[in-house]
Amino acid sequence: MKSNISRQHIYLISASLVLFIFVLIFSFIVLIPEGKEYRIKRVDLKKVSKELREYKSFYEDTHNTYKDLQSKNRRIITAFDGVFNPYRFEKQHKQYFSALSVSELKLSSSDKDFAIYEVNTTSEINSPTSFYDFLDAVNKSDWIIGINFPINFKRDGELIKSSFTMKVYCNNKETNTSASESEAK
Amino acid sequence: MKLSYIAARKKSAFTQELQLLLSFFTITLLMLFLTYAFLLFKNYTFVHDKNAKLMEKSDVIASIDKMKVQIEFIEKQKALSEKVYTKNTVLKDSIGNLFDLVPMRITLSRAELLHNGLILYGITPNKDVYNFMLEAPLRSIFHRTYSSFYPTQNGWLRFVSTNYIDNEELLDEE
Repeated sequence: MKSNISRQHIYLISASLVLFIFVLIFSFIVLIPEGKEYRIKRVDLKKVSKELREYKSFYEDTHNTYKDLQSKNRRIITAFDGVFNPYRFEKQHKQYFSALSVSELKLSSSDKDFAIYEVNTTSEINSPTSFYDFLDAVNKSDWIIGINFPINFKRDGELIKSSFTMKVYCNNKETNTSASESEAK
Repeated sequence: MKLSYIAARKKSAFTQELQLLLSFFTITLLMLFLTYAFLLFKNYTFVHDKNAKLMEKSDVIASIDKMKVQIEFIEKQKALSEKVYTKNTVLKDSIGNLFDLVPMRITLSRAELLHNGLILYGITPNKDVYNFMLEAPLRSIFHRTYSSFYPTQNGWLRFVSTNYIDNEELLDEE
């Protein structure tokens, strides 16, 4: 029996079959695994992007809180960061006293965050009211100062001699400079 | 013998069928390799973007942690300053109350305010004035009150009043 299909057609069909087999093999061995990986990586990237967006939003909130806190407490931050100057203190507060003398600064104690210095003060006042005004002024001064016991008052003619210890609170510069750094920024 | 006047048609190996087949092969293979190249490129960019985003995320986390430490420190500063200011205000009120406590008939010559007590030196016309007008209010404030008197040349009495608050109460306040 003689076939109607020519030799050329047989070649064409064979070549098509080879291509078909190649396409199948390439798809199953290379293309489909790569496609799966593509899907996994796309989902992974979306997940990471979502997490990053959430962290950025949290960063914005934290940053706003930080800036708000910093602007509301600017005076306190500056006061803790400042170095106590006895001469400037005397100059600022001598209006409340007939005489005021402040000793040199002496380190009293320090912890991780703060250092506490002690200053002995002797003064003369006309009336207790001056001392009350001084205590009000200390709360508004350039440093964080606590008036400490013992406080002595002694009458000396028309004046009252007083002596007391002041505690000056500062940032512990050795361990903590974060607030001052942020202030500079 | 018959001869043809038409020139013989040149036979080509690229028959129409073969051209069609080659076009089909080329398009198919091109599509396959382009898809593969696209997938390779996208996978590379996904990995690259993911790494960049992870690095950015770790930077953001580090910044958040740093800010949290700073916030905590400012809050510590605020709390400490408020504590100091409150102590100063309480001290001012205490000194004011002390001077208000002393009646007109008694004159103070010296006052020592201690962490856990108060020592007053002064002059009183007599013991009764001292006992009723100064010692009674002092006793209501302090746990322990001791008084001693020394007569002066003009008949008045010089007194020393020592008053203490017990330590437990001070610790509670702290």
